[in-house]
Amino acid sequence: MSLVGRVIRAAAALGIGLSVTLRTMFRHKVTVKYPVERLPVSHRFHGLLALPIDPETGNDRCIICFKCERICPDRCIHIEAEGKGKERVLSRFDIEMDKCCYCGLCVEVCPTEAIVFVPHYETSTYHRGRLLYALDDLHAAAPKEPVATGIIKRRRA
Amino acid sequence: MALRTEELMLNMGPQHPSTHGVLRLVVTLDGENIVDVQPDIGYLHSSVEKMMEYRTYVQNVALTDRGMDYLVALNNEEAYCLAVETLAGIEVPERARYIRVLFNELNRIASHLVWLGTWGIDLGATTVFLYCFREREMILDLFEKVTGGRLHHVYYRVGGVYADFPEGWVEECTGFLDYFLPRVDEYHQLLTANPIFLARTRGVGVMSRQGAIAMGASGPVGRASGVAQDIRKVAPYEVYDRFEFDVPVETEGDCYARYLVRMEEMRQSVRIIRQALRGLPGGEIRARVPMTMKAPRGEVYVRTESPRGDLGMFLVSDGGETPYRVKIRAPSFSNLYALTEMMKGWKIADVIAILGSIDIVLSDVDR
Repeated sequence: MSLVGRVIRAAAALGIGLSVTLRTMFRHKVTVKYPVERLPVSHRFHGLLALPIDPETGNDRCIICFKCERICPDRCIHIEAEGKGKERVLSRFDIEMDKCCYCGLCVEVCPTEAIVFVPHYETSTYHRGRLLYALDDLHAAAPKEPVATGIIKRRRA
Repeated sequence: MALRTEELMLNMGPQHPSTHGVLRLVVTLDGENIVDVQPDIGYLHSSVEKMMEYRTYVQNVALTDRGMDYLVALNNEEAYCLAVETLAGIEVPERARYIRVLFNELNRIASHLVWLGTWGIDLGATTVFLYCFREREMILDLFEKVTGGRLHHVYYRVGGVYADFPEGWVEECTGFLDYFLPRVDEYHQLLTANPIFLARTRGVGVMSRQGAIAMGASGPVGRASGVAQDIRKVAPYEVYDRFEFDVPVETEGDCYARYLVRMEEMRQSVRIIRQALRGLPGGEIRARVPMTMKAPRGEVYVRTESPRGDLGMFLVSDGGETPYRVKIRAPSFSNLYALTEMMKGWKIADVIAILGSIDIVLSDVDR
């Protein structure tokens, strides 16, 4: 191909490409200024884990069945209980959020929907110790209205 | 009298932005001509196969997400769940099969978009990278609304899928497909029309059909060299045999052919998704499988078509709660070793173009 032909072809290709970018320029913008603006996340979003407080009893709904501790692939949930029978209470419910892989199996197996996901995702910290969420932290992390509970159970009901 | 030249050995990586992960290439050069390339792998070895032996069948789904190819988590889950279901003889409900096919194809588009964008950056086309990630973001949003995760879903279960679509999702997905098809044309306008892009890809990194077969290259890399094999067609799993779609095959075997194959695959995936959405049956989405399931003694090998190629899963069970042995046949691994074949005789500047055209994911290579 002659030099002139090549120049014409290159100019035409440039025109085609630039017309695409020009069209895009007048289209709806998709970026957000992140720390100032935030995009909403879905209500099924796998964010932080939390133990919501039941307004009727004033306590969480955990019945200490250890199902979540057993199903966890990363073994990051640690539960201990004290007392016998009806007085049995949680003495420890720790989640190591640095190990957690956000798979959601604990939320799925929980028979009382005591453990839920909340759509909070900014959990990074400078200290590793702060990623250990104890019972109080998990209570505090829960919103007033629980989100992302066991979808399966609601579907079967 | 010819000038005497000396061969130079160059280490590229493991910390190099264009190797798409922690891959080390030992390149032997004669001037700027490539004499030999040896990939050195193992920097991202996560021993996922061994870890699977210590987790139950249900828990292992979470491992296939990130231990294998992290860009196509759902296709990995598909291979694993299919293997366990075949071994244990579990019947998956019809609706779950359709949902799985749908999500496999959505993930295929997302994966090809990442490849196209990053390859564009490798070749100096920044715009197409931004556009590809804009569309991919929409797919990730669609995923998030159903599975709760963006990259790592843990959505497939042995015997079905975890949750049904929320209200209005199907319309949203259809809307995305309508939006997406014209965008593929835009990528073509940005790249296929561009003489610089053509000069860097057409005829570069040629692999013959025999070479592709000998090296075990599969997926788009194999199909670009004329190996017309797609597991979805030759050994259909799930409900792929009910859908009409074409398998794009090119015969040139160069970077450009690999590009064309993937671009066409995105269009075909849209076709499959449309048919799956149209024919979506009602009913259950999950068979009753206990969380502490046991698979019968035996072994099974299943093949699936992941976006990178032939993804195989070999499972041995001794009748317990955990698999006795898992072997993953990773498509990226075989495709990466076809690299030596492709690169010999090309210039050092083509290394990035050829490597990018294979579309490797290092966590899939090392496992």
